[in-house]
Amino acid sequence: MDPQEYQQLEQQMTPPTPYLKNVLKAFFVGGIICTIGQAITYLYVIFFNFTEQTAGNATVATMVFIAMILTGLGLYRKLGQFAGAGSAVPVTGFGNAVISAAIEGRTEGFVLGVGSNMFKLAGSVILFGVASAFFVALIKLILVSVGVLEW
Amino acid sequence: MKKLVLPLFVPFFLIGCSNEQTIQVTDLAADEEKRIEIEDAIRNKEEIYSANAIFVNDELLVSIQVDPWLGFKEQKVEKRLQKEIEEKYPDLNVLVSSDYKMYWESQKLLDEEDEKKMADEVKKLKDLAKEET
Repeated sequence: MDPQEYQQLEQQMTPPTPYLKNVLKAFFVGGIICTIGQAITYLYVIFFNFTEQTAGNATVATMVFIAMILTGLGLYRKLGQFAGAGSAVPVTGFGNAVISAAIEGRTEGFVLGVGSNMFKLAGSVILFGVASAFFVALIKLILVSVGVLEW
Repeated sequence: MKKLVLPLFVPFFLIGCSNEQTIQVTDLAADEEKRIEIEDAIRNKEEIYSANAIFVNDELLVSIQVDPWLGFKEQKVEKRLQKEIEEKYPDLNVLVSSDYKMYWESQKLLDEEDEKKMADEVKKLKDLAKEET
């Protein structure tokens, strides 16, 4: 059997990916997560001294915290299996990435295991987030000093 | 469960359809003329569906809610209204805000009778609006 034949056989055997179903699942679960986030924002705005602008930080922290607890309880894995990107793209996916990597490294000890593995996945998110924020701010600074935009 | 869906969601759709602007202005320590002018200035902005204006001494706090479909214009509407009112009344200390916090708190302030308490509250809200993080 040459490689081409094998590839054909493989394509015949694998079941078709239900793209539409996956997309719909991800869309609705992601939407529900964002709705919960919006509800938390309104909670902070109404019951605490936050404005819509400043409530964002607190909301992100709360959402990440909830996702971390769910990951520790093993519930976020089930959600991830069901919804795929719908549970990974919102900021809750970040909390999941931190804690699941930490759990993974637990067997190697506290410092070298948990400590060094914790940001194995999420570290790149932080690095590129900070770097891109820097460049966006730089571009905005240039545009403002040229006079195209206002702060 | 399925039977519940319709009665639960129909009111939301109907509320979404109402085209009326609700504008409320407090009448504490402000003359009639100013109130009507401010109300007209807000009413002229079609993007605004709901607004509260709080008058206290020389402080004016206008909180607006912009149509969700025009969310991207929110800041622009806010700035335009701020400029308009400032030009009309240079002696007033005006803040126009589209923030939901301002709207929520001013909604509660509308029924407030005590002038001092209202002034304190408005000052607190204006300080809060300046915070950025």
